[in-house]
Amino acid sequence: MKKKIILWSAVAFLVLEAVIGMHIQPDMSSVGEAPHKLHALGSLPLPFGGINVVTIIFSWIIMIVLIVISFGVARHLRRIPKRWQLVMEVFVSFFDKLCQDTLGEKGRKFLPYVATLFIFICLSNWIGLIPGCEEPTRDLNTTLGLGIIAFFVSHIAAIRYKGIVKYIADYFEPMIEIKGVKIPNVVFAPLNLIGELGKLVSHSFRLYGNILGGAIIIQVLSNLIRYVGLPIVLNLFFGLFVGAVQAFVFAMLALTYIAVLVEG
Amino acid sequence: MDLKIYALLGAAFSMGLGAIGPAFGIGFAGCKAAQAIARQPHAAGRITKIMLIGQAVSESPAIFALLISIFMVFNIYKMPEHVTVMHMAAFLSAGLCMGLGALGPGVGSGFANASACEGVGIQPENENLLLRTMLIGQAVSQSTSVYALVISMCLLFVV
Repeated sequence: MKKKIILWSAVAFLVLEAVIGMHIQPDMSSVGEAPHKLHALGSLPLPFGGINVVTIIFSWIIMIVLIVISFGVARHLRRIPKRWQLVMEVFVSFFDKLCQDTLGEKGRKFLPYVATLFIFICLSNWIGLIPGCEEPTRDLNTTLGLGIIAFFVSHIAAIRYKGIVKYIADYFEPMIEIKGVKIPNVVFAPLNLIGELGKLVSHSFRLYGNILGGAIIIQVLSNLIRYVGLPIVLNLFFGLFVGAVQAFVFAMLALTYIAVLVEG
Repeated sequence: MDLKIYALLGAAFSMGLGAIGPAFGIGFAGCKAAQAIARQPHAAGRITKIMLIGQAVSESPAIFALLISIFMVFNIYKMPEHVTVMHMAAFLSAGLCMGLGALGPGVGSGFANASACEGVGIQPENENLLLRTMLIGQAVSQSTSVYALVISMCLLFVV
């Protein structure tokens, strides 16, 4: 009985969403808003190309939702967990196992960061399902910011666990070995440096391209078939499925980059 | 007016070439999944799950190509004041860059997906480990198509 109610309310929500979504954006001119927002549209003039107000509002909404849920669940902790506590425990223990598989005992320290990364990006990708809302991850500024955070976390963790000397020496890998004496290889240093920057770029642009691409495909198709049908399947695929997979990929890659730098 | 012609040509190059690689990769993954299910029919659910997740990731080069095509078809680019040959070349090359850049990563991540399907077919208990390794491998192999996307967007919005 309860399952049926949940199912029907989900279907009703999706239908409503598709109908309202079509009426909010009926013309093609709104298709390409996102890239322009990088520069001017609805932004304040500041040194780094302005601030996208819409992105900031929605990221704060997501943050508030996350904080409210976490405090609400953590206030009444019980030995025999109830529904919400059980969900959270499954989620946390899944990521705990993931971190410990990848990094060993050290992994526990990175658990809060990686799990938060996943849940924040996942909710950011899913908020586009609500009519009138816009994914914060559709803005390059958000994903680049997340990528830069991951970059600094992995490098600072590497310096802390390996020491600054070993950290710098790792840029000169693979070393030349002459009669058992290891000589730092100067040729590989610029290549390794560029590789690190390439990680940052690919990490953030992957999320941005996927989410923006999905959002634009949904907009264009709902515009094309607005008198014929509803693009519910597209919303399910690009909103729920690809959003969750890309959030998981982002969190896993951040963890892997940390592991490569800490243990390499 | 001239500029629009080149933008349309670039859009066609981008999506047309960009569809080749991911299509091949996704089809290859489906082929290997079918073989694995033929060998171990009781693991069909697990194999199908890993195939679908992998295919959703390996078609992201095609989504990047579609993004660049839509930018060019719907006039989302920096309009220059004086149109020169350089701007036309930039549009054509943006399309070629994204189209050819999506070719390799699409095929490569399809291979990763296919091997993961095979592996689940051999040992279904290793499903989670294989899923994780496959996702990381696919994501890193797609870095090159992300670089192509960055360069194409630079050509559209900066030049």
